[in-house]
Amino acid sequence: MDKLPDPVTYAIPAFLLLLIAEMIVSLRRDRSRYQARDTLTSLMLGTGSQVASALVGGMVVGVAVWLHHFRLFDIGIEFRTWWWAWILCFFLDDLAYYAFHRSAHRVRWFWASHVIHHSSQHYNLSTALRQTWTGFFSLAFIFRLPLFLIGFPPAMVFFCAALNLIYQFWIHTEAIGRCPKWFEAVMNTPSHHRVHHGVNPRYLDANYAGVFIIWDRMFGSFVPERDDEPVRYGIVKQLGSFSILWAAVHEWVGIAKDVWSAPWKHKLSYMWREPGWSHDGSRMTSDMIKERWKAGQPDEETVE
Amino acid sequence: MTTAFLIQTAASVVAVLFLAWLVKAMGLGSDPRIADADHAIRLAEEAETGFGGVDVARDRAGFAAIVRNGEGRMMLVRAHGNHFAARPVDRQMSARLDKDFLTLTPPERSFGAVTLQLGKEAGVWAARMREIPGG
Repeated sequence: MDKLPDPVTYAIPAFLLLLIAEMIVSLRRDRSRYQARDTLTSLMLGTGSQVASALVGGMVVGVAVWLHHFRLFDIGIEFRTWWWAWILCFFLDDLAYYAFHRSAHRVRWFWASHVIHHSSQHYNLSTALRQTWTGFFSLAFIFRLPLFLIGFPPAMVFFCAALNLIYQFWIHTEAIGRCPKWFEAVMNTPSHHRVHHGVNPRYLDANYAGVFIIWDRMFGSFVPERDDEPVRYGIVKQLGSFSILWAAVHEWVGIAKDVWSAPWKHKLSYMWREPGWSHDGSRMTSDMIKERWKAGQPDEETVE
Repeated sequence: MTTAFLIQTAASVVAVLFLAWLVKAMGLGSDPRIADADHAIRLAEEAETGFGGVDVARDRAGFAAIVRNGEGRMMLVRAHGNHFAARPVDRQMSARLDKDFLTLTPPERSFGAVTLQLGKEAGVWAARMREIPGG
């Protein structure tokens, strides 16, 4: 496989400086945007994620290189010749991210891994680094596999994926309000992504985009942020704990308990159905929460 | 794992500890309290859409509250960091009454036990705990 530098490594100093800058802004505008134990949990989860990636990253690369042998097209990696392929790869990788991300919120197996990122009740740059430890176990990487079969070199795909990850760092902030209209129309922004992290019924399961918000607009999952409804962050059942380990594994524990205690015919459903699903209807999915919320709203309030 | 990776990881941990210390040193954070019954009802509603709280037992310091709805179901709300977290009060949650104090312990250990100073209301709410339907 061709070797390319890991852009994330080079971005880390900028991440740290921006974190400190955001803290200073918070000091002036709203001290409650940060909390020491929350920040510690987020950043330790980020560090743990790096360790997990180092442990299993080789296997993902191995799968990618193996699949690339069955490619439909021969695409080179040299930028001057293949610049269009780089652009196309970045674009398609972002579409693959959208598919992954939507599944990560709608299928409990994938959610169990992704929930870590949403488990903070804060929304700041440290939240961006609150990343999964169990992405490989949840098979999250399968969404990118079609790119290798098309023929994009694994090194190119992983480089684009890293750029995608870096882009998503700066949108995890309340320090930026709205960007220029044209930018909000095309790109994922702090405003769009705040909605994604929201637990207000209006904001649940929306704005799955990585870099380009156009996917949400195309596939009907776009919800704009409203000035009259501030976003409440976190997960529907807030953790109520700063435990790093519990944040990393709590949903997996929940799945194990549910599968163990469920009747045989429902066991698999506790893995592949949406988060909140239960065979006896004793819990609420996001769709059920939205329905209940809409039922309690005046008609004009629910028009979007 | 290479030595370089181990050094990088150790450096990350040091940076993480520094940043968490910096948050504290800068005085960031807040000490949220439940201001009154309306606030407690709103927090229960945020925890469970359509909960419809009607009755509240608020801890004297505003650290936590129990909210009861029209159906008799109850919700425990407590401060967590700069925000709040809630859990339904059901038969799995144990309750201990000690004069003016009511301590609720949910089965979820990570959530922790919550002690509410309720004054004379403590006994009333402890009795309500015993009326929770089985499940």
